[in-house]
Amino acid sequence: MRRDAFSDIHPAVSFALFAAVLVLTAFVLHPAVTGISLVSACIYTIVLKGRRALLFDLLAVLPFIIVVAALNPLFNHEGATPLFYLWNGNAVTKEAVVYGLVSACMFAALIMWFYCMNAVMTSDKVIFLFGRVLPALSLIFSMTLRFVPRLVSRIREVSAAQKSTSPPMKKGVVSGVRHGISVISVTVGWALESSVVMSDSMRSRGYGGRGRTAYALYRFTARDALLAALAAAFTAAFVWAAASKAVYFRSYPSVKCAPMSVGAVIGLAAFAGLCLMPALLNAWENVKWRILSSKL
Amino acid sequence: MQNADKKRLHPGVLALILALLAVPALIALGVAVWDDRRFYIVSLLIILVSMAPFVLRFEKRRPGARELTLLAAMTAIGVAARAAFYMVPQFKPMVAIAVITGVAFGAESGFIVGAMIAFVSNFIFGQGPWTPWQMEAAGLMGLLAGLIFHRKDGSLPKLLPLCVFGGLGTLILYGLIVDTSTVFTTQKEITWQALTAAYGTGLVMNLIHAAATVVFLLLLARPMLKKLNRLRVKYGMLQ
Amino acid sequence: MANFKFEALTFTYPNGPAPALESVDLSVRDGEFLLVIGPSGGGKSTLLRHFKSVLAPHGERSGSVLMDGVPLSDVPEREQAAKIGFVFQHPDDQLVTDKVWHELAFGLESLGCGRERMRVRVAEMASYFGLEGVFHKDVAELSGGQKQLVNLASVMAMNPSVLVLDEPTSSLDPIAAFDFLTTVKKLNTELGLTVVLSEHRLEEAMPFADRVAVLEEGRLTAIGEPKAVAEELHKRGSGMALAMPSAARISCAIGCSPAALTVNEGRRMLRSMGLARKTLPETPAPAKGETVLRAKELFFRYEKDSPDVLRGLDIELRAGSVYGLVGGNGAGKSTLLKALSGSAVPYRGRVEISGRRMKGRFSAFEERVGLLPQDPRTVFYPVSVGENVKKAAAGRGAGEEEIERIVSLMGIGSLSERDPFDISGGEQQRTAIAMILLTKPRILLMDEPTKGMDAGVKRAFGLKLRELASEGLSVMLVTHDTEFCAEYADTAALMFDGSISAENTAREFFCGNTFYTTAANRIARDIYPNAILTEEVTALAKRG
Repeated sequence: MRRDAFSDIHPAVSFALFAAVLVLTAFVLHPAVTGISLVSACIYTIVLKGRRALLFDLLAVLPFIIVVAALNPLFNHEGATPLFYLWNGNAVTKEAVVYGLVSACMFAALIMWFYCMNAVMTSDKVIFLFGRVLPALSLIFSMTLRFVPRLVSRIREVSAAQKSTSPPMKKGVVSGVRHGISVISVTVGWALESSVVMSDSMRSRGYGGRGRTAYALYRFTARDALLAALAAAFTAAFVWAAASKAVYFRSYPSVKCAPMSVGAVIGLAAFAGLCLMPALLNAWENVKWRILSSKL
Repeated sequence: MQNADKKRLHPGVLALILALLAVPALIALGVAVWDDRRFYIVSLLIILVSMAPFVLRFEKRRPGARELTLLAAMTAIGVAARAAFYMVPQFKPMVAIAVITGVAFGAESGFIVGAMIAFVSNFIFGQGPWTPWQMEAAGLMGLLAGLIFHRKDGSLPKLLPLCVFGGLGTLILYGLIVDTSTVFTTQKEITWQALTAAYGTGLVMNLIHAAATVVFLLLLARPMLKKLNRLRVKYGMLQ
Repeated sequence: MANFKFEALTFTYPNGPAPALESVDLSVRDGEFLLVIGPSGGGKSTLLRHFKSVLAPHGERSGSVLMDGVPLSDVPEREQAAKIGFVFQHPDDQLVTDKVWHELAFGLESLGCGRERMRVRVAEMASYFGLEGVFHKDVAELSGGQKQLVNLASVMAMNPSVLVLDEPTSSLDPIAAFDFLTTVKKLNTELGLTVVLSEHRLEEAMPFADRVAVLEEGRLTAIGEPKAVAEELHKRGSGMALAMPSAARISCAIGCSPAALTVNEGRRMLRSMGLARKTLPETPAPAKGETVLRAKELFFRYEKDSPDVLRGLDIELRAGSVYGLVGGNGAGKSTLLKALSGSAVPYRGRVEISGRRMKGRFSAFEERVGLLPQDPRTVFYPVSVGENVKKAAAGRGAGEEEIERIVSLMGIGSLSERDPFDISGGEQQRTAIAMILLTKPRILLMDEPTKGMDAGVKRAFGLKLRELASEGLSVMLVTHDTEFCAEYADTAALMFDGSISAENTAREFFCGNTFYTTAANRIARDIYPNAILTEEVTALAKRG
């Protein structure tokens, strides 16, 4: 991952922004909204991980898009404008095709945003956000992340050790499964024993007493407040535009889109502002650094 | 790991009742407010509502260190075990681990571990809109396993019914919930054909997953349950 | 400040045949550094766990434990959690969370410490222990030494007045272990912290201790200042005398009092005796058997762009010999064993077994190469020791007779019903070796086989190894344990930077080195340049 200015802001703000983008993208099905969301997600992916990663992610998303885009017109035959008829006499309608395409892009945008969120919301931030609300589950989450790499390297060690104690693995599924089961059963025994030592270490450090607190790794700064206010304003403007049907789109019974109006422009611009915030923040930092280093 | 109080309603039953009550209300709300997107919103809300009782109850009784570490270990096994089967694609012991946890520690722990396996796997390999569906599906498998097979005295269940449950459960319940989630997320109308088509595209994967669950339960359920019982005796815990 | 008093403490495990602790009377003074020593299985861990109520094992108990004059059971758990810091043996098992910062904060979170205070405490710990650089890292990225340091720091964050450490360095390499013990000593002298430490690594730990307590078969058999204890153990002819630092063993054996503890003291003592310079007769080079395993110009790296771990390495193992390989961390020792057992494929060079060139990931089982991993627990199935042994024997169809022979050879007959996770480290090691021997290997590769073994077990193990070699088994061990290598290997070599930089007979090898050599050699090298074992030095010194 590259240096990302948005990853440095307070997790509550970044989480809220992701949540707002995801919810609005999922619930407001509108070609312009979906488009803005998808393009912004792609831009931010480039900022976070580079162009090659974007290509890779898009290729991973492609099968979903095809399935989703095909599913709707094939099985939903409502709509006023039939385009052609299937072998069983059902109509493929223009409305169904449009809905399918838009919802496929919406799905792709969601997945791309989830990829970005994965890179930004590290386990530290998840634990920071939920440590107070769900202390036991956050702890399980943290302990599981601690366990997983240990288990994976343990699985490798056990597998290497078994090379000298058991006959070589033959090709084929059955022998692969047998080998895996044998490795897992050794690893599991160790993992469960080791979890007991872990619990001793927790109890030894006072776990289980009342009034557990959580370490605050992050501080809420003035910039975080500013960004939060900005995001809230963008969200409010867009929700207002959608609720007042200035931003409006429907596929059924016939495709209909609210005409361009001041309200629509404001709403869409606000949504674009929200979606582009992570990328713009990076651009802004870049500019600042360039000015700073030119003064040196 | 269940509390001994029998008077209280079992959280699994409670969750089912809540879900049953909530479904019509949510559907009504969905139809009224979000015309186009009602299925997505309704299904998502149902999932969140049905998870809430487990999460809240689990947090409220403040589980001890031994319980937490064992559940974390089981979750991690569910996430990492795939690494041991690198030469067999799609061999995922995820559901099997949730089932074994349910059998060993009861329905609630089964649900928590199942849902956590799905969450952490997605955290490591990439979250998506499908995460809540997978959490719900794996959690339900752990829950049902606990309701059907968990015994307070720790006695081991018969292998055959456990395997049948695991296999069919993975194929039907888990597969159905996870594969049809795309339909709920993206489609306007839910039709049988769309559901069948979505389920059909994932059928091969589900068959492999079900086979993995059966094999895993067949070969590892007993040793793992015995090991857990041994830890119970050695450290005088979880009773 | 804290002091402890154990009065007639007796403890028996639920299924234990005999008490694990038997009427132990022990007092720990304010601010002292108490070292608890004894053979493994002697009750050290059981005793240490009684310093904290939540860790006290299940079982039958009588007698009492007092902290600052108050029965420990009356001290509230919260107070115990903060005041009594406990560091366990395996650095990995006791780390609870995935991040260093979270680990440091864990105890304070449990105590309900406020936000600002917690920040200060955690910052203080990270700076004092030099952990700023890894503060945000995953604990999985740390070395063993760093992990144990994080464990220590996370306990210290709670500001304890006593620190109890249960063999904290047993899985660390010598340099990390010494650093860790030095840090503990620093806490003891700079903060006046009471320290109770159990250790096998007495060469380093003994000089740090104010007092030493010896625990054998659950009984406290000696307690006092280190030098006095060393002399007493020698006089009594106790098995623990073997475990004393080389300087102490030499000075006791030649009757010097007070005993020396460090290499420096040992050197001064010998110098003051005005002994004549002598050399041992050259040991004849061992008869050269046929070459069973050979590697030629091995090159290996884990990824295409990562640096080479093995660089043009040549090595040769002869039938019936014991080959010891020493070298620092990251020199590539474990990787070499992987390459020799077919788990790592070199990208250049060849591995030959009995003259045949190996290809790709060859099967160690079919080539009769046994590998004892660093952690013997990697070979145990979750069944009893006996069943594990049977399972291993089935691989090559070893019969009942063979099983019996190997089981009695490794001395694990009495463990057959036990669970492999309930037995001591030394017993686990022997069980694992028995399992590997039952696959009838001709070559045995061992990764740090003496890690965590006490002196008695180590000696028994070394003798077993020689016995196996005399039966024709070829053994290669990579180790940090120069003493063990000097005593039981025919050939020794130093691995550095991915290849073998020096190889010789064990004697020539060690007396030629200044750092990678035994303590006995460092003590006596001016007068007995080629003596490498304490026994040799004492024998020569006694002759005058």
